[in-house]
Amino acid sequence: MTDPVKLTIDGKEAAAPKGMNLIEAAKLVGVEVPHYCYHPKLTIAGNCRMCLVDVGMPKLGADKKPELGPDGKPVILFGPKLSIGCNTTVAEGMVVHTRSAKVIKAREGVMEFLLVNHPLDCPICDQAGECRLQEFSVDYGKGQSRFIEEKVHKPKKTEIGPKIMLDDERCILCSRCVRFMKEVAGQDCLGFVERGSYSTLTCYPGMEPNTNYDLNIVDICPVGALTSNDFRFKQRVWFLKETKSICPNCATGCNTVLWSREGVVHRQTPRDNDAVNQCWMCDHGRLHYQFINDPNRFVAPTVKSGAMGERFNLTWPEATRQIGERLKALKGKGATIAAIGTTRATTEELFLFNKLVREVLGAELVDCVPHVGEGDKFLLNADRSPNMNGAKLAGVTADPVGSRIPVIAEAIKSGRIKTLIIHGENVAKHGIAEDLLGKLELLVVIDTLPNKVTELAHFVLAGATFAEKRGTFINGKARLQRLNAAIPSPGIARPEWQTFAALLNELGADGKYLAIEDVFADMTRTLAPLAGLNLSKIGDQGVELKLGTVTPPAASAEKPAATVEAKA
Amino acid sequence: MALNVAADLEKHVDEIVTHYPPQHKRAAVLWLLHLLQEQFGHLGKEQVEWTATKLGLQPINVWELITFYPMFTAKPRGKFHIKVCRTLSCELCGCGGILERLKKKLGVGLDEKTSDGLFTISTVECLAACGTGPVMMVNDELFENLTPDAAETIIDRVKATGKLEQQPLPKPVAPHPLEKRVLLANLTKPNYTGSMDDYVREGGYRSLPKALGMKPDDIVAEVKNSEVRGRGGAGFPCGMKWSFLAKGTGKPIYLVCNADESEPGTFKDRQLLHYEPHQLIEGIVVSCYAVGAHVAYIYIRGEMPYGAKILARAIEEARAKNFLGKNILGKGFDCEIYVHRGAGAYICGEETGLIESLEGKRAYPRIKPPFPAVVGLFGCPTVVNNVETLSNIPHIINNGAAWFKELGVPGSRGTRLVCVSGAVKRPGYYEFEMGKLTMRQLIEDLCGGLKEGRKLKGVIPGGSSMPVLKADQIDVALDFESLRKAGTMAGSGGIIVLDDTVDIVQSTLNVAQFYAHESCGQCTPCREGTLWMEKMLHRIRQGHGRPEDVDLLWDVADNIDGKTICPLGEAAAWPVKAFVTKYRSEFEAACKNGNGSKKH
Repeated sequence: MTDPVKLTIDGKEAAAPKGMNLIEAAKLVGVEVPHYCYHPKLTIAGNCRMCLVDVGMPKLGADKKPELGPDGKPVILFGPKLSIGCNTTVAEGMVVHTRSAKVIKAREGVMEFLLVNHPLDCPICDQAGECRLQEFSVDYGKGQSRFIEEKVHKPKKTEIGPKIMLDDERCILCSRCVRFMKEVAGQDCLGFVERGSYSTLTCYPGMEPNTNYDLNIVDICPVGALTSNDFRFKQRVWFLKETKSICPNCATGCNTVLWSREGVVHRQTPRDNDAVNQCWMCDHGRLHYQFINDPNRFVAPTVKSGAMGERFNLTWPEATRQIGERLKALKGKGATIAAIGTTRATTEELFLFNKLVREVLGAELVDCVPHVGEGDKFLLNADRSPNMNGAKLAGVTADPVGSRIPVIAEAIKSGRIKTLIIHGENVAKHGIAEDLLGKLELLVVIDTLPNKVTELAHFVLAGATFAEKRGTFINGKARLQRLNAAIPSPGIARPEWQTFAALLNELGADGKYLAIEDVFADMTRTLAPLAGLNLSKIGDQGVELKLGTVTPPAASAEKPAATVEAKA
Repeated sequence: MALNVAADLEKHVDEIVTHYPPQHKRAAVLWLLHLLQEQFGHLGKEQVEWTATKLGLQPINVWELITFYPMFTAKPRGKFHIKVCRTLSCELCGCGGILERLKKKLGVGLDEKTSDGLFTISTVECLAACGTGPVMMVNDELFENLTPDAAETIIDRVKATGKLEQQPLPKPVAPHPLEKRVLLANLTKPNYTGSMDDYVREGGYRSLPKALGMKPDDIVAEVKNSEVRGRGGAGFPCGMKWSFLAKGTGKPIYLVCNADESEPGTFKDRQLLHYEPHQLIEGIVVSCYAVGAHVAYIYIRGEMPYGAKILARAIEEARAKNFLGKNILGKGFDCEIYVHRGAGAYICGEETGLIESLEGKRAYPRIKPPFPAVVGLFGCPTVVNNVETLSNIPHIINNGAAWFKELGVPGSRGTRLVCVSGAVKRPGYYEFEMGKLTMRQLIEDLCGGLKEGRKLKGVIPGGSSMPVLKADQIDVALDFESLRKAGTMAGSGGIIVLDDTVDIVQSTLNVAQFYAHESCGQCTPCREGTLWMEKMLHRIRQGHGRPEDVDLLWDVADNIDGKTICPLGEAAAWPVKAFVTKYRSEFEAACKNGNGSKKH
């Protein structure tokens, strides 16, 4: 911090950067200034009046220097009125009281006003447990209401687009949502109608919010006015476990929290990270988590072995043994093996996948399926892979990514490739037709949900979703970020790194991978950008890597293969 | 369905849009809504969407305004909209009886339309004609000194003729010997109409060539030296306000004339706007020159439609004489004045609420800093001055700061227009040197004392937001400092006299109702506290007050006081605190028997 501004907050010396407001400056010295309307990423509204504090400035003498009192300290002059912390910036020598009797009385007054027309329906309110009204009521509320008049009644169920429900009686008119839609989401669609105590938040009929960022207003609503249709009435938030995670739906890698209970993820919300997503996330990513809880999830490894093609569950040791037996038989026949990995896997999984298919089995036709969608100028990246950079770093991709998939398809067709290992991709949708897959002598698929490919697979190894494992993603801006396991996988399904580690072991390439940390440590030895790191060092905010240009491994057979294709 | 807007109306709309910077054409929205409502009778979906498209807005931006400004309506009203003032001065003069008579005669409740589609009756807040209360407006016409019978006659005539007759401006009253008229000096001169010719004949516009021959900074210095304080309510020194304007920002500077007179009990600007518009225009042009502004807006409250027309005509006259427009009087100074109409919101009297309203938004006062002198209208340095303040400027330039300082007393220089309403024999407006008269002289001499058989109970000295003075406190001189020392403020100069027949609890309710209705709803204490006080007072008035309600009322007011974005918080809190403190026994008596069981 160059030239910090020195001030005193509740008797504590603080040094704050120029231009910082008193709410933020107080945080620096561990003082919480309660507030509702203030939000660090939005313009200042100053309407809730909860952050009123007592602000004094040194009295200046004729020489423009602070006048000193008998105790040798500057004489401080306090204004007749309190000031709002959100709109008061730090100044040299400023003295701030956030807990004086005057301030407490003001906060108690504001708190009471906020509740006089509030329905006090916490028992049926989804916000209960994470409601700022509840929280500050504990500090500044009265046990009993002094308000005995009839409350103002307002609309209870206004649809704010298809994703959000508004209860106007709970709304405290802080305007955070109005400002967010206008300033961040770029759609000026929310506003207040009527006036005074009858003021009502609404949107113009037929012009509801319809951006990809609408649900952020549910997060920033400090009360229970705005609730997400996806989550409302589902769970009490205090029953939910919070797990820090990363959104797996695009290359941005928004930092998130997964909210789960008894093995079920109930919602996904953004987590602060100024280097990635500030405190927002897009609705596309936020709402795309239901596959975690899909009842059709694979619960165990299976083998297709019956006369009629029936599938049988296996134990993991048995699955590993059976697959290992088939793969051992292919030693030295790497040219007949191809593998398709996934850019949705963790870096650790990609690393072990690469080790298995390239280094141990000697496959050269290895690639990933690219996932591309429409991006926007804010958070949603056109690259829908959460870990494209991880895949590239691990060496699982061709250049360009996915360019080798038609080559693989042709090689299956020509009969050159007889074994295919697929991780987490329904390749039937990405250039390898079902009839080709049917020709394979061995198809091993590691996945979480059934699809055409898993139907055809000889072995299906039940995998884990991002919510069930630890590991890392490297986002589109080369930021290495950490996933944490929120819930266990269903049945005996397990994180793929364990499956790959077991197969490596079976094939005589013991990596001594007892924990994810061991895999990471191995990566740091092999992959230069990760040198010196460990999972703890990544922390909750991630670290930026210097990836440089990673040259994807070329397949020696590629050119001739292409020639073969041409001939075929 | 597309709205069918007549070509000439659309042309008018397009012309109005040019009054505002192209990137701020939203500012024209209140004007557009007035015009559309005049044509269509209401502002429904089609009108909202037409306006939004016209100004490049979202429909929500327009809908927000229609529900904020009470002059606008989404539902069709009767052809004749009767607006009965219900605020304190009119209530003291018996507006309740008029309202009851009208409702009975027309057989409708408030805000309902008569079955023939002719009438809708509404109550409105202070129409700034308190000295001639009770008053009501029917469409654009103001009817003063009403009685129930007179109100009924008006309805009968409208019914019989199907038309509304234009009401003439009341004839100005000759000054009382104790008055010193400067701003109102011309009013009672023979055949004086306030036209350009009359004004120039009486020496008007003399300050303009003089000022244009001076350096702008010298004019600012002259105004500073005159020690003239703002006449809107806060009494801030005008010259100092001008000197705060941010210089060299590369942005234009704006001058805004606050003609949104709406503090209950105040009707002085109404006189200056209706009778002496050129004095104001002269003051504005000189002030613009002094502060470096080339565009000024006069924000006139919506309920003064004639004032707006008179100003528009006067502006045309001034332009014809080259007192306005390009290269004024050949001195190389350009200046334009535009009239901007409000639409019924007291909060627009607060300067930043006014700026927001002028920009075409809900009149939510801004948090300060930044102050308008730095970031004001359209994000540019702006000075906002009251009508009376600006009307003083030509006199200061003509006669010099020294002359001005001869008038009045230290701290309160010049004359002041005060407005007296309530229980006096001669209510009305008076102009006199500040500090040279006491409240007692004003009431007993100028106003002729209280009405027969009445005794004084109290006086509200500066608009209904100022703390009341008790009957034994009226030997106070009428200037800023003396009133401040008496624990109140000179405010807007609206003096409301309360006699011994007045029920203080009812008057407190009336005032509380005003502020609850006018609270913009932006910040918590005012939004929630004002309505709470009103509901509590309703309950007390109906006999359901509990002994603890007296202290509760005071405490709710205290929790608003000083905690809000703008001074409406104090305006709502101070009168309640003062009434409860000074007439506590009346509140205690009213709260003796109830148990609070009935809720309001």
